[in-house]
Amino acid sequence: MPATTIPFPLFRFKEAAAAREMPRDREEDRRRSRFEAVVLPHLDAAYNLARWLTRHDEEAEDVVQTACLRALRFFDGFQGGNARSWLLTIVRNTFYSWVAQHRERELDAPFDEEIHTVESAGGGPEAELLRRADAELLRQGFAALPVPFREVMVLREIEGLPYKEIAAIAGIPIGTVMSRLARARGHLQGYLIAHGAAGGRS
Amino acid sequence: MSCTGDGGQRELQITAYLDGELDLAGVLDLERHLEKCPRCAELLAAQRAMQQAIGAADLRFRPTLPQARRLRRTLGAPPAAAWWRQPQLRSIAALLLVAVGAIAGWSAGRRWPAPGASRISAHPETLAHPETLANPETPAIAEQVLASHLRAQLSGHPEDVASTDRHTVKPWFAGHLDYSLPVIDLAAQGFPLRGGRLDYVGGRPVAALVYQAGNHLVSVLVWPAGRDAAPGSAAVASGAAAATSSRGFGLRRWTQAGMTWWAVSDADSLDDLVRRLRAQLPQR
Repeated sequence: MPATTIPFPLFRFKEAAAAREMPRDREEDRRRSRFEAVVLPHLDAAYNLARWLTRHDEEAEDVVQTACLRALRFFDGFQGGNARSWLLTIVRNTFYSWVAQHRERELDAPFDEEIHTVESAGGGPEAELLRRADAELLRQGFAALPVPFREVMVLREIEGLPYKEIAAIAGIPIGTVMSRLARARGHLQGYLIAHGAAGGRS
Repeated sequence: MSCTGDGGQRELQITAYLDGELDLAGVLDLERHLEKCPRCAELLAAQRAMQQAIGAADLRFRPTLPQARRLRRTLGAPPAAAWWRQPQLRSIAALLLVAVGAIAGWSAGRRWPAPGASRISAHPETLAHPETLANPETPAIAEQVLASHLRAQLSGHPEDVASTDRHTVKPWFAGHLDYSLPVIDLAAQGFPLRGGRLDYVGGRPVAALVYQAGNHLVSVLVWPAGRDAAPGSAAVASGAAAATSSRGFGLRRWTQAGMTWWAVSDADSLDDLVRRLRAQLPQR
């Protein structure tokens, strides 16, 4: 798919209006328009990722806002590849620098990359129980995952991204994406079984 | 718990399998293993069930209206105060405009509304049109095709007739349209047919086929060639599909089997689907 997008009528109109107002900033307006056309379609994905990482509405907005300003600064270096990956990478990096300032402890939470899944209770009922997990329980389960697992699960299961793109965004090898997903699913499965059963859901 | 003593390799395989990221050799190997390993089969069943539950639940967080407004301001966009800047409302507005355009077109006794009459003015800033789609009418059609897809996605039921059986879908269209179209199932190629719906594009009812591509939907809109008021469409009749993109959605247009075809989706595999669909259609 061609990476260049040529904005349609309104932009021309807006540019014309802007040019009348302050002609010397016309170039900057053009750049802004291009930037907006690239970033705007992925703003919801950016917010979703930030919201899952911070687990907080206002903090998510802060992170996305900061990420957008950074993106605007780096925009000249954007070569017109995958805009979604590009923006989500910046959102993720912004989150990590934000969390280092505000919630350092969060990243110290121990997690190991080794795989050891939950011991199954055996039989089909487990699959049945998991299939009936509702949105509320799933939200809690996702939120309970350590950040490195949560981010790959959100990118995979909510954004539906392929491993290659997740690897690029999280800056990890594809093999690590796979093992983190395996581990995250083990965690989540354990959480859903424990809390679903305790919550009286059957 | 999956197989012990393999260092978690089977579990990794199951993970990649669930995500459609396992290569053919791996799939064959795993499927052979699953036949004789109840523990791995059970793990797969449990994780597949969990994935289905996640897919059925809406876990996406969306910015609230004031948040979206503030974020747009950061981008340098005008604040999203006006209702026509809300994507959902915009799509509804688009639907109304298309409907009004259609009615006006018909009642005026014309087969086609005047150029621009049905143009979706609620989507003013979004459309891209590279040189291949330079025909002045085409962007308007492209906007409507994208609006059709977005509308269908937002409504939660992207098809009026939900069936994976093309022998159900084809006759359904026959009862609703004055033309018939080839209906191809691409399940074997990894893009199962979900069904079909009717839509309005260019002020007339057209067929839309819905395919599943991983987690994404693909809408394929089809109508008789030469009736879309786009004389330039002959230029792409036998060549490669014309490509454009808008708001992260890809659009492909080509002419084949006497029909004009439009495919629209945010799936990365859109080109693959188009290629496979074109291979299955009559060449002329």
